[in-house]
Amino acid sequence: MATTIAGVTLSTTRVVTKADSAKTQALRSPSLNHPWRRVHQFGGGHMYVGTMAATPESISEKVTESIKLAEEACAENPASGECIAAYDEVEELSAAASHARQKMKESDPLETYCSDNPETDECRTYDN
Amino acid sequence: MAISKVSALGIHHESFSFHMVLRPVGISASEGKSLRKFPVISALDWRTVVIGLAADSGCGKSTFMRRLTSVFGGVAGPPKGGNPDSNTLISDTTTVICLDDYHSLDRHGRKENGITALDPRANNFDLMYEQVKSLKEGVSVVKPVYNHVTGRIESPELIEPPKILVIEGLHPMYDPRVRELLDFSIYLDISSDVKFEWKSQVSLSLSLPSLSLSLSLSLSRSLLLWLLVWQRDMAERGHSLESIKASIAARKPDFDTYIDPQKQHADAVIEVLPTQLILDDNEGKILRVRMVMKEGVKYFDPVYLFDEGSTISWIPCGRKLTCSYPGIKLFYGPDTYYSSEVSVVEIDGEFEKLEELIYVESHLNNISTKFYGEITQQMLRHADYLGSNNGTGLFQTVIGLKIRDLFEQIQAEAASKQAITSPK
Repeated sequence: MATTIAGVTLSTTRVVTKADSAKTQALRSPSLNHPWRRVHQFGGGHMYVGTMAATPESISEKVTESIKLAEEACAENPASGECIAAYDEVEELSAAASHARQKMKESDPLETYCSDNPETDECRTYDN
Repeated sequence: MAISKVSALGIHHESFSFHMVLRPVGISASEGKSLRKFPVISALDWRTVVIGLAADSGCGKSTFMRRLTSVFGGVAGPPKGGNPDSNTLISDTTTVICLDDYHSLDRHGRKENGITALDPRANNFDLMYEQVKSLKEGVSVVKPVYNHVTGRIESPELIEPPKILVIEGLHPMYDPRVRELLDFSIYLDISSDVKFEWKSQVSLSLSLPSLSLSLSLSLSRSLLLWLLVWQRDMAERGHSLESIKASIAARKPDFDTYIDPQKQHADAVIEVLPTQLILDDNEGKILRVRMVMKEGVKYFDPVYLFDEGSTISWIPCGRKLTCSYPGIKLFYGPDTYYSSEVSVVEIDGEFEKLEELIYVESHLNNISTKFYGEITQQMLRHADYLGSNNGTGLFQTVIGLKIRDLFEQIQAEAASKQAITSPK
């Protein structure tokens, strides 16, 4: 119990300090940018914080980073090629993020099974 | 560089042609054998039809593409056994190629040079032309793959010639040689107001609180966590609306210079604009969608309302059909678009009920449906797709059916030509 509570406090702090990065799924995996932050594996799955917005963590982190870089580039000279290229990157990454979100939404096990095996009884459709 | 070697690797399919026959177009076994002795211009028993789609919303997974592949039947997915991150979509009849794969500069290269992906200098049009030409002639190609997440060019993939090849991206009609290869071209023109509304709605849905906690946490702790994440998300959302505005504005000059002019070459333009039915509609939910169709395009008869060539303004809601606010308004008429003769069909409003959709469908002509209610059926089948209750979904479905009609006309013509030249 004590470990669980301690674990919760630790995770709370982690959420607060990660305020400017994206979703909280990385609680269970080591953050690539901060290798000194240790991973605490809570045995038996006591503590699990999942995300329901379903954007893969890596992509949404990339989006936020690219927005930051774009703002920096444009602070110096808003009309420069760098500024425009930076915002183009933001656009590309957010499009990729929304596609990834759509893909994750679509992973209905029945659908995936039926796309591979349309002739099975569960997957037959009658169009007339 | 790896990309220049790729074009040399086209593979001829002549030896495989009869194994690949899916629909022999009425050639009997004996005729087939005798045909083999004669030089065949196309190694396949169909003539590959090439469609160009200019759209700014990323590739291949767009709603338009899914509706199009659905009209032809089958489920579209990435090439089997290939890179799962491939941008290419393959179904039974259709292959959709993303033109971003022909970037000559990856994200790092573009950043170094200070140019956007919209700039033609970031794209290899020579390779694009060569490979689309090869596929149209029935020759498989090995084409590059661009990863939108990493921004790098990855190892190439093999694409076999399909019945229908769709090239989707920012520059399908930019290069005149590629333009010549297209049998039909579409430009999806979304106004900046609508673009901003759509993107900001997406960011809104992103920022809704997103936690699910397990049983060992007490209720108050979970609420606290929820609140912290929600606060952070609200800050992010305001932040991201600014960045949406800024990114649309930053890309506008390049967009207007390189992408927008392709409109004049398109056979059909779908314009998505804010509604005129509500004066202060600032939510962007109700849309006014115009389908601008060029006159005189081979195999393509423009859609019309009631009387071809006349100008009609039509509100279907009244005694026979009851609609909810703000209703539906249609318009049809001839016009000039970038000095070409066109016909325009326009739908403003939303379909709340099935009967509204079928009522409107029954009054449209030249929609190339094979049975009454086919458009409604297609829209219902994909009721979860974006635009299923307004003109975007309707016109995208209509274009899908017109392309099917175009494809069948081309195959019939190719088959009759073959029948004339085949020996008796």
